[in-house]
Amino acid sequence: MSDMANTHKRSLEVTVISGEDLHINDRPIKNNAFVTVTADTRSSPSSYDSTKLNAPGESYPFWNEKLQISLPAGSRHVVIEVRRWSSSGRDKLVGAAWIPVSDFLGCYTPEDYLHFLSYRLRDANGQRNGIVNISVRVVTSSSSTSVPEFGITVDREKTGRAVTGMPVWYPNQCKS
Amino acid sequence: MGNCCSDDRGGRAPIGGTPANIGLGNGNDAPNDAVHLFLRSRGYQGLFSQIQLSFSASGLRDRDVLSKSDPMLVAYTRGRDGVLKEVGRTEVVLNSLNPKWINTLNVTFQFEIVQTMLFCLYDVDTQFHQMEVKMLKLEEQQFLGEATCALSEIITKSNRSLTLDLTYGEEYTGLSRPQNCGRLAVHAEECITSKTTTEMILRCSELEHKNLFSRTDPFLVISKIVESGMSIPVCKTEVIRNDLKPTWKPVFLNIQQVGSKDSPLVIECFNFNSSGKHDLIGKLQKSLLDLEKLHSSVKGENLVLPTAAGNKVLKSQLFVDTFSESTQHTFLDYLAGGFEVNFMLAVDFTASNGNPRLPDSLHYIDPSGRPNAYQRAILEVGEVLHFYDSDKRFPAWGFGARPIDGPVSHCFNLNGSSTYCEVEGIQGIMMAYASALLNVSLAGPTLFGPVISHAAQIAGQSLANGRHRYSVLLIITDGVVTDLQETKDALVKASDLPLSILIVGVGGADFKEMEILDADKGERLESSNGRVATRDIVQFVPFRDVQSGEISVVQELLAELPTQFLTYMRRRDIKPSY
Repeated sequence: MSDMANTHKRSLEVTVISGEDLHINDRPIKNNAFVTVTADTRSSPSSYDSTKLNAPGESYPFWNEKLQISLPAGSRHVVIEVRRWSSSGRDKLVGAAWIPVSDFLGCYTPEDYLHFLSYRLRDANGQRNGIVNISVRVVTSSSSTSVPEFGITVDREKTGRAVTGMPVWYPNQCKS
Repeated sequence: MGNCCSDDRGGRAPIGGTPANIGLGNGNDAPNDAVHLFLRSRGYQGLFSQIQLSFSASGLRDRDVLSKSDPMLVAYTRGRDGVLKEVGRTEVVLNSLNPKWINTLNVTFQFEIVQTMLFCLYDVDTQFHQMEVKMLKLEEQQFLGEATCALSEIITKSNRSLTLDLTYGEEYTGLSRPQNCGRLAVHAEECITSKTTTEMILRCSELEHKNLFSRTDPFLVISKIVESGMSIPVCKTEVIRNDLKPTWKPVFLNIQQVGSKDSPLVIECFNFNSSGKHDLIGKLQKSLLDLEKLHSSVKGENLVLPTAAGNKVLKSQLFVDTFSESTQHTFLDYLAGGFEVNFMLAVDFTASNGNPRLPDSLHYIDPSGRPNAYQRAILEVGEVLHFYDSDKRFPAWGFGARPIDGPVSHCFNLNGSSTYCEVEGIQGIMMAYASALLNVSLAGPTLFGPVISHAAQIAGQSLANGRHRYSVLLIITDGVVTDLQETKDALVKASDLPLSILIVGVGGADFKEMEILDADKGERLESSNGRVATRDIVQFVPFRDVQSGEISVVQELLAELPTQFLTYMRRRDIKPSY
């Protein structure tokens, strides 16, 4: 797998374009909807970014905002959450979408392809609640000074086999 | 003209001036230049012209109890065999018995055949007002009346307008005479193709209170004045709540909607009223050129209110805050700019076609040389599509059969090779098809997933090579796909690639389920893991609808291709490189 000797860090440019048909408490949302984008990963600290609040369009909000997050090797999903800001500080989750990294990495297209993607949002109860439209571009920046990240992402759904351990010999001590 | 729109979220929305409508050629709105190129290449020059129909009605029957009817018009063409085919629908005008619809209909007027059109009016029930017009089921609406005429009757009138009496039609007998249910006026105009779109932001100052006790919810209606002096609404802005100094969202107007930059336009400012009778606050007459001058002079122009004593000049002024023009490249511009269209073919070899040795099979090769359904489909459709393919080498596959001594394959090369999949020209396809029939045994089930994925892979690879290439996959099938969800998954995955999929159904099966795949007739496709299709890349056509000799064949097949192509290019801001 290409991640093996990869000294490149991957980051994502995610443009949150718009949402469709968002409801809260069974009513179309009026305002204060914002979106957070996170890379889901268990090991490294996750990178997080969010849009501004006052998007026009009520239940069809139009943010058109570019967000940047880093994508650690080993992440399998990017999580998009649409929330409604409330002045009391308790933001309510409108809906979330879990985007498999395979949807924009390593399918039919070149790595720097600008992907336009849309996802069904599901609320805290798992009910359908609208659609979110985004665009994603993978940005690979080579960084020779950082410690190489080792790890082979295994897509269990595809292979269904056990992971094979591979002995690795590297000169630096890797802080875990 | 107080009755063109009202009530409800549906009525407050902008119509006709939104960026979504502009120049995408979705059959209702703009002429299809891919069709014209093909027809002209065949020498059809001058035998057809593109006509835009606009509609208004008066004296409609009142079907709702508490408010007035909410009429919508559906237009059909009646084929030679009497079969009705829907051509388009207008928007719903709320609360009006004298509606003037803004959405127009584009039809190709052919001089040499009689085109009979049928117009049906429906009262749309309140519960459906939020839905998109194309999704409305007509059986659930209330029928208001219908009228029929030949297209030539409208064109040949001196003012290009025809007024028809609406009747209940033959099905509603029970009354000794068809009751009068109002009149329908149809106006035809020749379409002018134009690539220029103007974007304007309009603003008004100091609108006057009509009534001390109620708010003013202003909106604008822009109409064009045609030769006969009639005014036809072109677009309306959204309704702004309670504002005497409103600034509306940008209005996009294509020159072809208004005629020319000098054409006189009437801009009217109304106060929205949920009863449907909107009060006119003021109006003025300006062409697009005048509006451009108004913008550069940074001044406003006073609105005028016609009263019994003459025109009263108001304090309120209209300002044009921004005015910009942009060129919308058409499908042909991209082809001329070096874009290639790559045509791919997949043929259904499932057992439901019937044993190829028996004459009733869809795959039967007649020794007398008469082409079977598949051969006819390949010839007719291929002839149109291969016109756009530059190198005339087409990847061609079969699916649903067992090649000699092998398991069932859902994507095998039609030419029998195990290394490459291309054939040369339409003749190459016909030869590969005939020999494939001898070398495979039909099996099943009907799965589109593998061919779609393979085509998507090829489309994606063309991106890697940096080539400007758009791929079109033609699938000819006899039956309904077995695993609809897997097909949807493959389509959603491919929806962001430069690929369009044209599915032609042969034989007599009921293809209703296949129409779900064509998002034009339904909702956006959703895959099993929550991803929604980025755009509609499918078009489905039952082959029996395709009758050779009529231009409508070509129109049917190419109807959505330019839209799908342009959506892809414009979203990524890819321009043709000259």
